[in-house]
Amino acid sequence: MSPRMITGPRNGWSRRDLLRLGGLAAGVAAVPGLAACNSDSDGGGSGESVDLQFMYWGSTFEQKAINAMLKQFEQKNKGASVKPLYTPNDYETKVNTLVAGNRPPDVGYMGGSMGYRLAEQGKLVNLFPYFDKYPELAKRLPGTYFWHGKDKTFGTQTANEVMLLWHSKPAFKDAGVDLPPADASKAWSWDTFVETANKLTLDQNGKRPDESGFDPKRIRQFGVSTSIQYAPAWECFLRSNGVDVVDEAGKKCLLDTPEAVTVFQNLQDLMYKHHVAPTPVQLGNNAPATNVQLQTKRIAMAIDGQWMLLDMSQSKIDFGIGVLPSYQEPSTTQLGGASVVFSGSKHPEEAVELFLFHNDPKYVELFKNGLWMPLEMKYYTDPAAVDSWIKNDVHPPEYKTAVVDYTVNHATTAFGQRLKNMDKIGNVLTPALQQIETGKQPAKEILTALTPKIDALLQGWYPTQKL
Amino acid sequence: MAAKKSRLSGQGRLESRWGIILAMPAILGFLIFTIGPMIASFFFSLTDWTIGGRPSFIGLDNYRTMVKDELFWKSLSVTAYYTVGAVPLGLIIGFALALLLNQRVRGLSLWRTIYYLPTLVPAVASAVLWIWIFNPDFGLLNSLLRQAGLPTSQWLYSEEAVVPSLIIMSTWGFGNAMVIFLAGLQGVPRHLYEAVSIDGGGAWQRFRHVTLPMMTPTIFYNLVTGVIGTFQVFNQAYVMTQGGPNNASLFYIYYLYRTAFTESAMGYASALAWVLFMVIMLVTFLLFQNARRWVYYEMAGAR
Repeated sequence: MSPRMITGPRNGWSRRDLLRLGGLAAGVAAVPGLAACNSDSDGGGSGESVDLQFMYWGSTFEQKAINAMLKQFEQKNKGASVKPLYTPNDYETKVNTLVAGNRPPDVGYMGGSMGYRLAEQGKLVNLFPYFDKYPELAKRLPGTYFWHGKDKTFGTQTANEVMLLWHSKPAFKDAGVDLPPADASKAWSWDTFVETANKLTLDQNGKRPDESGFDPKRIRQFGVSTSIQYAPAWECFLRSNGVDVVDEAGKKCLLDTPEAVTVFQNLQDLMYKHHVAPTPVQLGNNAPATNVQLQTKRIAMAIDGQWMLLDMSQSKIDFGIGVLPSYQEPSTTQLGGASVVFSGSKHPEEAVELFLFHNDPKYVELFKNGLWMPLEMKYYTDPAAVDSWIKNDVHPPEYKTAVVDYTVNHATTAFGQRLKNMDKIGNVLTPALQQIETGKQPAKEILTALTPKIDALLQGWYPTQKL
Repeated sequence: MAAKKSRLSGQGRLESRWGIILAMPAILGFLIFTIGPMIASFFFSLTDWTIGGRPSFIGLDNYRTMVKDELFWKSLSVTAYYTVGAVPLGLIIGFALALLLNQRVRGLSLWRTIYYLPTLVPAVASAVLWIWIFNPDFGLLNSLLRQAGLPTSQWLYSEEAVVPSLIIMSTWGFGNAMVIFLAGLQGVPRHLYEAVSIDGGGAWQRFRHVTLPMMTPTIFYNLVTGVIGTFQVFNQAYVMTQGGPNNASLFYIYYLYRTAFTESAMGYASALAWVLFMVIMLVTFLLFQNARRWVYYEMAGAR
């Protein structure tokens, strides 16, 4: 039952070798330097070259940064070559196919629930034994680990992300309204949030929702945009209001509690009662990205993830970052896809090295340019380490309080990253959220019908572990 | 047998051998890529195989689960709804256009090409195009309806309208049926039309008593292939709606795909595939049974 056996041998002429041979032939013709480099590493190594595959998704921008990171890894590790497997669409389908065909990559991104499944099947390396060898691996934010048993973790998030309140400064200036607070202790109440959104919403004739003659069918600028279908955008409000999606045992769904109903009714009311947020119809399913909508003042505020910072800074918007509105306690959602090492790797030690390298802020530009937040605690608490990634043109001045401190003090990991049977639960949850979003029924009715369906699927939480 | 074999001349043997050899690629392809996976999927359907795990035999449990699986019934009914709407509409439009394109007008081949063009547009491209057409705020359809003073619809965004919207969109693919109808129309004997004219019949009588009966085999063919095709509708759900809103467009094959590749439950997905195969077989069988009543073949017993 060794992992190697399940995955099967990888000797002889694999398709990968053939492909590389073809690539080499083309490379020799095109780039003489590359060919020289290649022969160099052949001569330098002890005859055994280390070939790894790194599988990932992301925007074309992320692709560039990841490929640059992999190049650095090759330079720092003589004899190692890493082939990027960039898979922007249908990632899980591809991973499934590779696993079923016994050709998984060595290191890669991974969706949470699929990761748990593969880990339980022994397809992923348990990284816990490596904590002694790489002590910094044990010093990441506690919520970023994926534990699937005692002393068993298949990794951590690729990077960290939190949900924030993005806003267009010009829109606030035009309306003469104060900017959202960037300090969790001063977070808006929900009512203040709705009032502000109201002041920032304008129809084609420049009328606000609370003025007579306002036309909700022709809104030019929406006060805020948020997603009901995307759980990380609302679960933080549940926690802020004193409940969670499911109870601590992970056996009882709490979405029909009065606190949860209030949160969802408020979200639905943003669209259909206050008319300050676009309905799914008004948004359209091929709407422009949030940064474009903020730039064109289609929306004035947006509840969206930290990763937006990359696009925001690229598109030269006069934007700001605030903390989310709060019910009782300030709260935001912390999340991120997983990164894993596959146990079928022929070079497990090098694969773990690559795993540690691939999201190290020292080598990857994606932290400085806004896409990612670091995982290690020191990047949030040690002033020098904090400055190393946020003191630059990309990160605005309020970033320290609105994001770094907010994350350390008020972020809770997305329930989807720790709940068992999440695929099935998602299949039941999503349609109900779509119903809330279409606004035909009040949230209470939908959630009351939904809760027993989720109860039937609940199998508890995956464990957490103190380090 | 031996006597029969010896009657084949050397030439005949050679020909039959070559015939088999030349047909081999098609036969092998069918065995390896169709029959093989079908048999494999039947065995998978009796296991609880999830990708990456070890399958264990669970008998008919997958099929039993299906009976209680709400999404299975939902997807089956959504797909049936789509089929019942899309197939007749496609047949009527395809047939009507084939009739028009069978007239002697100038630039006939140009018209035929133009009407066939939408069929050549890649499925995903036309799906993206239709997302825009269906956009409730500034899409083509609602703009036209608004200008005409008619009520508009939320199209893909409402549970009630999403399948009808996709049915409307499906008519875009009438081209293939139309071409087959055109071929059929060419085969209607002229002398029958002349006979109707001599009896004093007009265009309607010609259509009602000659064209329509003579075309029933073609209509039947398009009906059967259309039903089989629409039961396997996938692109629309995959590209346009992701099965939503509230599973209102959760087509069977999309549900199957999701089960297989995002939930990785290959065993259950294989069982779903086999049930769909049975459903299509049954529906096709019923159509053939029913065909005896209304399909007219000139040569008796040619069915």
